[in-house]
Amino acid sequence: MAKNLPVVPSAKPGTMAEAPSGIAWREQHPVIGTGCNQCLVCTLYCPEGALKLEAGKVTVVLNLCNGCGTCAVECPQKAIVMEPEFRGDRGVFPLKEAK
Amino acid sequence: MSISLLTGSEAAAYAAKLARIEVLSYYPITPAFPAMERISKFIEDGEMNTRFVRVECDHSALAAALGASLAGSRTFTVTNSQGLLYMTEVVYHTAGLRQPVVMAVANRALSAPHSRFPEHGDAISQDASGWIQLFCENNQEVLDTTLQAFKVAEACRLPAMVNYEGYIQSHTQEEVDVPDQVKVDAFLPFTRIAALDINNPMGLNTVTSPEFYMDYKYRQNEALEQALSFIDSASAEYGSLFGRNWAGAVEGYKMEDAEHVLVAMGSSVSDARIVIDALRAEGKKVGLIKVRSFRPFPAEALRSLLGKASLVTVLDKNIVFGSGGALGNELKATLYGYSSVPVKNVILGLGGRDVGPAEIRQVVGLAEERAKQDTAYEWFGL
Repeated sequence: MAKNLPVVPSAKPGTMAEAPSGIAWREQHPVIGTGCNQCLVCTLYCPEGALKLEAGKVTVVLNLCNGCGTCAVECPQKAIVMEPEFRGDRGVFPLKEAK
Repeated sequence: MSISLLTGSEAAAYAAKLARIEVLSYYPITPAFPAMERISKFIEDGEMNTRFVRVECDHSALAAALGASLAGSRTFTVTNSQGLLYMTEVVYHTAGLRQPVVMAVANRALSAPHSRFPEHGDAISQDASGWIQLFCENNQEVLDTTLQAFKVAEACRLPAMVNYEGYIQSHTQEEVDVPDQVKVDAFLPFTRIAALDINNPMGLNTVTSPEFYMDYKYRQNEALEQALSFIDSASAEYGSLFGRNWAGAVEGYKMEDAEHVLVAMGSSVSDARIVIDALRAEGKKVGLIKVRSFRPFPAEALRSLLGKASLVTVLDKNIVFGSGGALGNELKATLYGYSSVPVKNVILGLGGRDVGPAEIRQVVGLAEERAKQDTAYEWFGL
C-alpha cells in the first residue's frame, strides 16, 4: 500500500532540521561498543568530525555522520560496529548498543 | 458559434483565449510559433488578460510555466521537436510536481539531420514523462482538445500535451467552429490551487529519500491511469455542450464486423477515414481505430475494440530505434495474452514524407499480402 503523500511533492520548513540529518540517504551509522578505550584514533580518521569525546566516552554526532564506516575499519580495538539504517519498520531509526 | 478558417496553430491560440489562460510562457520555434504570435496579438489587442513571459530558451519557457502554475495560474505554452527535447528536464519536473500546465506541440522531426517537417518523434520521446498526451486529427479537434486538456489536467493535477502535426495541421487552414465564451466558461470553470502559498510555506521538490520517492511515483502513475476516465468524461461533456464528442481516449470507426483494422493517431486518422470509406464501398471489411490518448494508453478499450479483428495494421509516424513504432509496440504489449491477432507495424511519414489516402491504401494492401510474414515492423515509402 503506497503511502499517502502531498499531491505536490513538498515538505514543511524545518522538516530536514528536525529529522536526524542523513537519515534520508545514509545506509549505516557507527555504534560504539564497550570495547572502546578512548584512544581517539577514530576521531582522527572521521572525515566529517562526527566522533567526539564527551563525558569520558566516544560518541557519534549523527547530524554529521555520513555513514562511510572508516571509523569501524580503523578502530584498533574493533569496538565500532556499523549498523544498517533501515530495518524492519522503515523510517524508524534503530540506535542499538554494540556488543 | 462562428465558423472561421483557422490553422491548427490559430485553433490552439483561440482555445488558449477561450480557456482564459493567465500566463503564456514561450520561446519561438518553427512550426509552433504562429500560436504564440496569435496569442500575443490577442493580448496586445486587449482581448486576453494574460501575462506573456518572454524567455531565453525552451527550458526556461517550461520552467517559467511551471513556476506560474505552482503559483496557481492557468498556464499554457507551445513548442515542438528540439524545443521539447531542450525542455525535457522540466517536462519531468512538471509532471512530478503535478502541475496542470497545458502545452500545444506542433509535432516536428528531430535532428540529426536537421528537419523542420512533421512526424511524432518529438512527442514519443516524452512518452515516459508522466504527461497526458493527446493527438488531434484536424484543426477543430485541436481547439476542442485543448479546452478538454485543461479540464482533464486540472482534474487530475497532471500536465497535458495537445499534439498536432507541424505544417499538415499547424499551417493549414480548415473550417473551425469557435465556440461561445459563455459556454466555454461553463465547461471550464477555474479553481485556483496554489502550491506556492505565502500563508502556508512549503519546501517544494525537496530531496526525497528512498522511503518516500517510490510512493510519490506510485501516486503519480495512479493519477495518470485515472486520467483515462477523465478524458472520456470531458469528451462526453464537451460533446453534449458543443455537439462534438471526440470519443474520449480512443475511437472506433466502422469497426462493426471489421476484419482488417488500421490503428493510427494524429493527422493520418483523417486520411485513413477516407481510405476506410472507399474500401467499405468496395465491400471490404475494414475498420479504423483512432488512438486519441497515447498517454495514458487506453489498453482495455483497445482490447475490447480489437476482440474480433483478424489483422491489425498500426501506422507509426515515429521510429523507436532498434525497436519499432511506439504505437505498434504499445498495442502489441496491450494485446499480448489477450489476442493472437497478427499486428503489422508500419513506419511511415517520417520527417514530412507525405502520407495521404493513396499511401494508406497501399499500406492496407501490403499488410494483407504480408499478413503471415513474421516481421516486427516494416518501413513504408522509402
